[in-house]
Amino acid sequence: MIRKLASLALLSLTLAGCGPTEPQTTGGPAVTRRLTESQYRSVIADVFGPQIVVAGRFDPLLRTDGLLTIGAGSATVGAAAFERFHALARSIAAQVTDTTNRDVLVGCGPQDLRTADDSCATEFYSRIGRLLFRRPLTTDEVRDQVKLAREATAVRGDFYTGLAYGLQTLLEAPDFLFVVERANGKQLDDYAKATRLSLLLWNTSPDDVLLQAAEGGKLKTEDGLKQEVDRMIASPRFKDGVRAFFTDMLSLDDTTNLQKDTTLFPAFTLTAANDGKEQTLRTLVDLLVTRNVDYRDIFTTRETHISNALGLIYRVGVNDPSGWSRFDFPSDDPRAGIQSQVGFVALHSHPGKSSPTLRGKAIRELLLCQRVPDPPGNVNFDKFNDPDSPLRTARERLAAHANDPACAGCHKLTDPIGLALENFDGLGQIRDNENGAALDLSGDLDGVKYANGAELAKALHDNPAAASCVVNRAFTYAAGRQTVSDEKAFVVYLEKTFADSGYKFPSLIRRIALSDAFYAVSGQGAGQSPAAAKAGTTEDKS
Amino acid sequence: MSRSNILKLGAALALVSAAFAGPALAASGAKSPRTLGYVVTQWDYATYESPFADECPEGLAVGNDEYWWRGLSRADKDKLTNTGLIQPIDRRGTAVLRGPQGEDVCWKPEIVKDPPMRTVKGKLAFGFNLDGTTDGKATPKSCAHEKFTGVDNTPGVDNQVYRLLGCLYGWRRNGVMDAYDDEERRNSGRGVILMEITNVDDARNDDAVDITFYRAIDPFSLDATGKILPYGSYRIDMANGKPRYGATAKGKIVNGVLTTTPIDLSLPYYANSIFAEMRLRDMQFRLELPQGEGKAKGLMGGYYDFDKWWEYMMKAEFLVATGDWSCPAMWEAAHRLADGYPDKDGKCTALSTAFKVEALPAFIVHQDRTAAAR
Repeated sequence: MIRKLASLALLSLTLAGCGPTEPQTTGGPAVTRRLTESQYRSVIADVFGPQIVVAGRFDPLLRTDGLLTIGAGSATVGAAAFERFHALARSIAAQVTDTTNRDVLVGCGPQDLRTADDSCATEFYSRIGRLLFRRPLTTDEVRDQVKLAREATAVRGDFYTGLAYGLQTLLEAPDFLFVVERANGKQLDDYAKATRLSLLLWNTSPDDVLLQAAEGGKLKTEDGLKQEVDRMIASPRFKDGVRAFFTDMLSLDDTTNLQKDTTLFPAFTLTAANDGKEQTLRTLVDLLVTRNVDYRDIFTTRETHISNALGLIYRVGVNDPSGWSRFDFPSDDPRAGIQSQVGFVALHSHPGKSSPTLRGKAIRELLLCQRVPDPPGNVNFDKFNDPDSPLRTARERLAAHANDPACAGCHKLTDPIGLALENFDGLGQIRDNENGAALDLSGDLDGVKYANGAELAKALHDNPAAASCVVNRAFTYAAGRQTVSDEKAFVVYLEKTFADSGYKFPSLIRRIALSDAFYAVSGQGAGQSPAAAKAGTTEDKS
Repeated sequence: MSRSNILKLGAALALVSAAFAGPALAASGAKSPRTLGYVVTQWDYATYESPFADECPEGLAVGNDEYWWRGLSRADKDKLTNTGLIQPIDRRGTAVLRGPQGEDVCWKPEIVKDPPMRTVKGKLAFGFNLDGTTDGKATPKSCAHEKFTGVDNTPGVDNQVYRLLGCLYGWRRNGVMDAYDDEERRNSGRGVILMEITNVDDARNDDAVDITFYRAIDPFSLDATGKILPYGSYRIDMANGKPRYGATAKGKIVNGVLTTTPIDLSLPYYANSIFAEMRLRDMQFRLELPQGEGKAKGLMGGYYDFDKWWEYMMKAEFLVATGDWSCPAMWEAAHRLADGYPDKDGKCTALSTAFKVEALPAFIVHQDRTAAAR
């Protein structure tokens, strides 16, 4: 028996050793990208605590190549946006140094509050600045901050007011607002590595342990890097990273602007809209992290979580109407997969009606990473929107509309998919007819025929593009930029190993985090100094 | 639409599927009994009003403020109106303090004597025949009283609360009392009542079903404009492992109309910032179940315990100005008209009444933990 076990172990190691090896890549450019709103909020909560209120608006990022994260690489901070960051910085600095928080967050102070305390200020700015800038502050930077605090204290006659002034300047500095990646030869330097890791795995800046690993050179070694990656994936914070990734990949932040005609859909409320997004994220985290199932199961799952606001839409009971409850749709329920949840079908609909085209487009672009061309500028919707039309279903109206050759090409890509979800109205409520006419939910996805949404779910599950899509998105999200041609082999390698792992999402993320390709840098953009980055804060950052 | 919804989490938790599933399941020939859940959205006194208020030939009742104003001296009126320059804006707080020593006449309704209250003289009313007689003669559980004919021609209807309130401005159509009550329950989510019809084999015709009343601990599920939505989930208010309020009645469904046999029932009555327990004896219920989706509408009747009924009226003293009633006059009339459950001296201790009830389909969540009262 022991011999058999030993043989099995040896076989496992041998097989592991026989797996595909990572192809060599020269990498893409280092990037400079603005912190996203969720990253900004996470960093402030991590550095100062969740009691610090971040009350302010953030300029939207431009979705680029499917991700806001990539758009963050070309974000600018104009005068109005800087004014908002300035107000935020001022508010946060004031809260950190107020009488409620200063003892814990500052931790030192002068005997006489009216005088400066260079020693305390030095300790504070060195400690906080390292966490905010994701690297130790230089001696000059610390000296400048202390000088600023000293002078402000002298003017205002209050040490903490002076200290807050210095903190405010850190919080509005480009080194904080922008992730400025620096390279050390053909690899990111250790601090840039730590930052990429932390943004990918936790959606926040590096914690003290990770910065220590960077400072000690641990991230240069395979074991050191592995130790940190495994620590971070094992942490509950990994769920934050996964939520941030899928929020970006699935455009879930668009929920913020979701509107419905409440005369037609009285169950629609802002709570329901937000809960729709939250439901999808809870479903994903539960499946992919907590239970570590096959990624493709997100398209077929009937296991989810619901709130009372969603129960009103799904017309199912909720065991805890004051919060979230685990809920499993019955096996014969038409609702299967995240693409059938309110967070998807309501988001990709019109305010007053469903939209097979928008839903099909969203599935193509968000879940399969396939580009659907924009409609022509002079598109004629007369046939589709005719209120006197005898055509009662969207399928009939779209068929009439798509007879126009200029429209037909794209509608062939989108409509068959979206029509399978037509038993969910514009809010995502179940229906079995449209204007009294029975619904035909059949169609085909890339040659695979289906009769309804549940069969579409299976077709999505089995579509190779689904797995390939999440691999591509995960890598470009992690790198903060689009892949370069040299990285194509690496992406293929990721797709292969993802499949070999049983499509386990944490395994994919871990492989990216441990890869050489993730940290490889070439071309322009590498090696910018903080001063150079600072000079570019009000200009395009490309 | 036929969908069974089962929550897998939560031991001892059963979820009641709402009424929309009823007809479909009945048509499918399902054998297992079903449960229909409802949340009560409207609970108003059933007040019959003719187009020209013929039921109030003497006119509407005189309110407290009028008696108060009549009783004030010229000096008091000068003081309250700044010698006639302003309206007496604080009358809401002071008008009820018209006892000889400034006592609150709602808390001490016998301390002054007002003229008899104008009550309903009409012959028609909503309600049930609670004592079984058609002539109004005394029975072991009722005092001699005048009967109504039901609006649906039911003979011998008992509804003395209507006789009392039917000529009061505040309780008539477009009055404020019931409207405020419903609105407050809707907005505050307090005093939400649930109805669970169980053992339903056929939601259109079933000769033996049970209906249980509960109080919910969850507020109403509202849309963006504040209207109550169907299919909300509500947990039952539990205390020491048992429902804090409610009772179960036997019933039957004929052509979609549920009727029950009499039971004694205690429910919370939150209204106008007042909490008073509603204690009904011999409660009867008739509920029209909707075909498919929609509201259930019905009538509930019974003998309202006098003390509990008056508790609300007494606590509503700050509303006499808007409701237009006199506590002393109402106290006298209510005692005179009380028709149910005579005590050992033959004095009746309850008032027959009827409520119009509307309800929406809802999910009723059973849980085995003790919930805090609101």
